[in-house]
Amino acid sequence: MIVKHAPALLVAIPLVAAYLLPLFARRLKHLVVPAALFALLLCSAGSLSLLFQVMHTGLIIYHFGNWPPPVGIEFVVDRLAVFTVLTLSLVGFVVLVYSIDDLRHELREDVRGWYYTLFLTLLASLYGMAMTNDIFNLFVFIEISAIASCGLISIKEDRACIEAAFKYLLLSALGSGCILLAIALLYMVTGHLNMTYLAQAMLQAAELYPYNLLASLALLVVGLGIKAALFPLHVWLPDAHAAAPSPSSAVLSGLVIKIYAVAMIRLLFQVYPAAFLARTPVAEIILWLSTLAILLGSIFAMVQEDLKRMLAYSSVAQIGYVFLGVALGSENALTGGILHIFNHAVMKALLFLAAGAFIYATGTRKIRDLSGIGQTMPAAGVAFAIGALSMVGIPLTNGFVSKWYLALGALDAGRPFFTAIVLVSSLLNGIYFLPILINAFFRKPSGNAAAPRALPTPMTAAIVVLAAAVIVFGFFPGRMAGIVVLAVHRLLGVWQ
Amino acid sequence: MDNLIVRYISRIFLPFVQLYGLYVILHGHLSPGGGFSGGAILGAGMVLYALSFNLPEGEKNFSPDASTILESGGTLLYAGIGLFSLLLGANFLANKAAGYPLGTPGNLFSSGAIPVITLGVGMKVASTVITFFYRLIAREGGQNGAAD
Amino acid sequence: MVPLTEMLYRLHQNSFYFFAIILFIIGFHTMLTHSNLIKKIIGMNIMDTAVFLFFVATGYVRGGRAPVLVPGEERAFINPLPSALILTGIVVAVSVTAYALSLIIKLYQHYGTVDAEEIMRIRRGEEQ
Repeated sequence: MIVKHAPALLVAIPLVAAYLLPLFARRLKHLVVPAALFALLLCSAGSLSLLFQVMHTGLIIYHFGNWPPPVGIEFVVDRLAVFTVLTLSLVGFVVLVYSIDDLRHELREDVRGWYYTLFLTLLASLYGMAMTNDIFNLFVFIEISAIASCGLISIKEDRACIEAAFKYLLLSALGSGCILLAIALLYMVTGHLNMTYLAQAMLQAAELYPYNLLASLALLVVGLGIKAALFPLHVWLPDAHAAAPSPSSAVLSGLVIKIYAVAMIRLLFQVYPAAFLARTPVAEIILWLSTLAILLGSIFAMVQEDLKRMLAYSSVAQIGYVFLGVALGSENALTGGILHIFNHAVMKALLFLAAGAFIYATGTRKIRDLSGIGQTMPAAGVAFAIGALSMVGIPLTNGFVSKWYLALGALDAGRPFFTAIVLVSSLLNGIYFLPILINAFFRKPSGNAAAPRALPTPMTAAIVVLAAAVIVFGFFPGRMAGIVVLAVHRLLGVWQ
Repeated sequence: MDNLIVRYISRIFLPFVQLYGLYVILHGHLSPGGGFSGGAILGAGMVLYALSFNLPEGEKNFSPDASTILESGGTLLYAGIGLFSLLLGANFLANKAAGYPLGTPGNLFSSGAIPVITLGVGMKVASTVITFFYRLIAREGGQNGAAD
Repeated sequence: MVPLTEMLYRLHQNSFYFFAIILFIIGFHTMLTHSNLIKKIIGMNIMDTAVFLFFVATGYVRGGRAPVLVPGEERAFINPLPSALILTGIVVAVSVTAYALSLIIKLYQHYGTVDAEEIMRIRRGEEQ
């Protein structure tokens, strides 16, 4: 029976756990970490049960407080939501396991308990964002996640983190203001906040009040664009993701920015009328911005000396793929874009965690100081290599799968130019990842890299699990792609 | 700050401020106001106390420990009510559908779970306002900044 | 072309929205152009307030009263939903402001200034 309530519990369990932890931290210190792990384990079980239910019935609708819409808040779990929730559970759990040991050297002891509170709050809000069908509820979750993710950065109280967190917070507040104004504009002309009702009411509103819809669309694209770090609104990202503690970087780069993209996909495909969108240049704008993101993100990444900063710029490029898929809008391209949400989450989390392991073991984050690290730290080194190759898009890694769909999708949409962009960007990725690998595996170990500290087992295990996931989903992409294809059918309104 | 008039007036005012805060929280389901407004009033009362006396005095009255417990407790009360309706066979945060007694509209004890939820929100907001205040005014190493 | 009187009348009818947008732009401008971090936060609050005003205005009914049901009295009520939503928005704005201010305090401890340009200058000086 409890399974029926899985959508609500996915949000409630991490939130309850997040608020229990400060109480534990006072008296029962040793219970903090197990409690956090247990909460996420429950969430993973919940998301798996959601998967089975959705595979069975196709759609789960949950009304909070038994209030039917349009009055009550509604969670709709479709395949897109299940796909996102699975990504969140997998990556979130692995990063949490990793963080237990990593935080010992990155955070002061008295704030370490708060880290888990913030982490669980963040995950609760991300789960909520993936499933909610109420646009104001979406805004609330966006705000919770904004504050929690800034907290995850500023909790490490050095200068760079505080500065990065402040920059992120300010831009994020700007984005929230835009999103709230957009919601107000939509509510003004439709009188609804539930996305399903909103979509119906908008068909009429598009004729009567086109300017309201246009303004709200622009504000939403800008607001969510800032939060998803769509080029050129990405300026906060490199600082924030590079300065944060490694587990935070993994979860921020891997999960948080993607969820805003999911929210944007929902709004563009399920709320705004397609006929209205066709009259606006929004798809073209996102298309060209994502192209710029892909190219310039990679070029910026090339000149970085700091390993984590390079990975952060690479995230700017990779979020471009997601938006490229959205903007091209053909079935294959959209599949590629959405699939890349999962694939990039796994490989970027892997890369950040491996980078964190290098930093943990050697104390340096400069790329050129890491020569020979692949020989002295074989497990983390090989895992990093797998992640990097997947980033480049070598076949039999999961990065290849989404790029393949994207390239096909660009051809389907009749824009072969963007297929070329996908190929060129793979080349660019190769240009900045391969030297690191060559440096790590074929140079003589020197300096700190020659005698690294031993890595605790949970950290190694977390990295290995993610590396295995990259390979497994590269060899057998069918399952995930199957879910995504069905999700795309629902988005595009094609039912077989 | 050490000012007799301020101290004296705030000492007279404080009970009324607190009482009003509680009133607004408890009547959240009947009149404008509720958990957030009432909690903010309660919290502001404590901030007034800490400002007009001194910080250690204020901390003695309302320790950071107590605020941690209240903060978590308020949220847990809210979530607990939500989860309890699952046990009663309704959806998360259900009120009437979970079978809570609704009472007569307009009475203090009415509208099922809402007063309890409002109370939880009030606890949370009051303690959060106080925590905000202490955290903003506290310096590194546990010294208080009001002295300089 | 709409005659001027008609235009003024319409402006008067929609004055809430008009002033909300003006406030929004003031806040936006303050937030982006001032280098003093505290002023940035003030700008952010002005911007948020503008959005709140706009949202609450969508639910306002001329001559309406607070939506508290009194049995046996029939009068127009304002739409309570936007007000309730904006209460949430205010809570969020308060938390963001408090958090931002605490970050500013930390920045001040590190740099001894709350001016963004000054901080940039100090950092650039250190890098060289």
